[in-house]
Amino acid sequence: MPAVSICTDAFVPAAQAMAKLYGFPGYQFVTIPHPLASLNEAQIEARVRDMMPEVLRILGMGS
Amino acid sequence: MTATVSDDTPLAEPPLADAAEIRAAMEYYARQNWTDGLPVVPVTESYLAEFLARTSRDPGDVLLAMPHLNRDCTVRLAAINAAMSGCLPEYFPVVIAAWESLAGEGYPARGIWQSTTGTAPLLIVNGPVRNQIGLNSAGNVFGSGFRANATIGRAIRLTAINVFGLRPHLLDQATQGTPAKYSACIAENEEQSPWSPLHVEFGFDPADSTVTAMIFRSCLHIEARHTQVPEQLAQDLAGTIARTGARIHETISALLVLSPEHARLFAQAGWSKDNVRQYVFGHATNTLAELAAVGKEAVSKNTHWRLPAGHPDAMPVADSPDPVPALNSPAAVQIMVAGANNAGVSAVIETFGPRGNPPAIAKVRDLDD
Repeated sequence: MPAVSICTDAFVPAAQAMAKLYGFPGYQFVTIPHPLASLNEAQIEARVRDMMPEVLRILGMGS
Repeated sequence: MTATVSDDTPLAEPPLADAAEIRAAMEYYARQNWTDGLPVVPVTESYLAEFLARTSRDPGDVLLAMPHLNRDCTVRLAAINAAMSGCLPEYFPVVIAAWESLAGEGYPARGIWQSTTGTAPLLIVNGPVRNQIGLNSAGNVFGSGFRANATIGRAIRLTAINVFGLRPHLLDQATQGTPAKYSACIAENEEQSPWSPLHVEFGFDPADSTVTAMIFRSCLHIEARHTQVPEQLAQDLAGTIARTGARIHETISALLVLSPEHARLFAQAGWSKDNVRQYVFGHATNTLAELAAVGKEAVSKNTHWRLPAGHPDAMPVADSPDPVPALNSPAAVQIMVAGANNAGVSAVIETFGPRGNPPAIAKVRDLDD
């Protein structure tokens, strides 16, 4: 099943290290601004709207 | 008792060696990043053999696996890092028991050492091995000055870095971490405790030597030099456990490291360890209003983390007791004695991991009698 990994920009180095460990250096992530845990519902929705084009691009469905 | 320090030891004859070559070897290890930041001891196959000779375990035996990283710590890898950390070969059975306890504890194998939480392992050593290898259980027990404490604790960290690859800013995502990530290994001051030591409480023989690993982050000291009232001391401990900043999950857990003076205060009042546990459990609470003031009055129905009542994941606060217990049971508090018998100072160790289950205690094997 096609999947996209999403992380905040604070976790990019760790995500890249894990990808390398699993033999996928250069694996593409959607990155969104940090922080996330303290956001309210409206702010979360905004984050999702903002990242959708990048999700679709990585899935090969971008315009 | 146990380890001693003397300023009167005559200087030994220094060995003849080329200091530049020693530095070159140390710098080689530093350039490879095989370090916690401090210099490490270079290891040769012959020196490694001295460590492996101290155990009946096969060098290929796996001590701890981290399947999500596809990496295992074997006896051989643990020995290399113990030697690098400055352990003497005779410490190695304790290091192996530490790994067995960490495997039994369960949290490291599930990735807690990579978490933003920033925890470290605390190793607690009980039994005769304390005196055999000079582990400090008395004054400055959390501090520096004792090779066995310093290097056995460090052996775990170097292995985390070099075997599991848990380097900060990469696979170790600790937001701040803790100074205990350099080393955290203490022995129980069994000789000055009025109660059974930790390992005996959980079924081991006093003549057994054991290591108990707990995952923790903060070590909070209690100043209570003024009192002879057990309820006052127990309330101070309970209030420290229940600080709002510690309340990440619905409930938490703690290890009380009582100084001999504080342990004796309880014992002389007729309190057992269980009496202390019961009192602390009953008084380590916050009112709902105190928790609401920091936005932690509710619990997530998904993660059981604390969050505000208005959060979409929050369970109804109306179902919560008030005051709200910080602990799920008296068994979420472990108790041991360590430190000098010279002041009313004790510590609360904020542990992560099993809440209410017995600690993971591993017997130290292959010791010389």
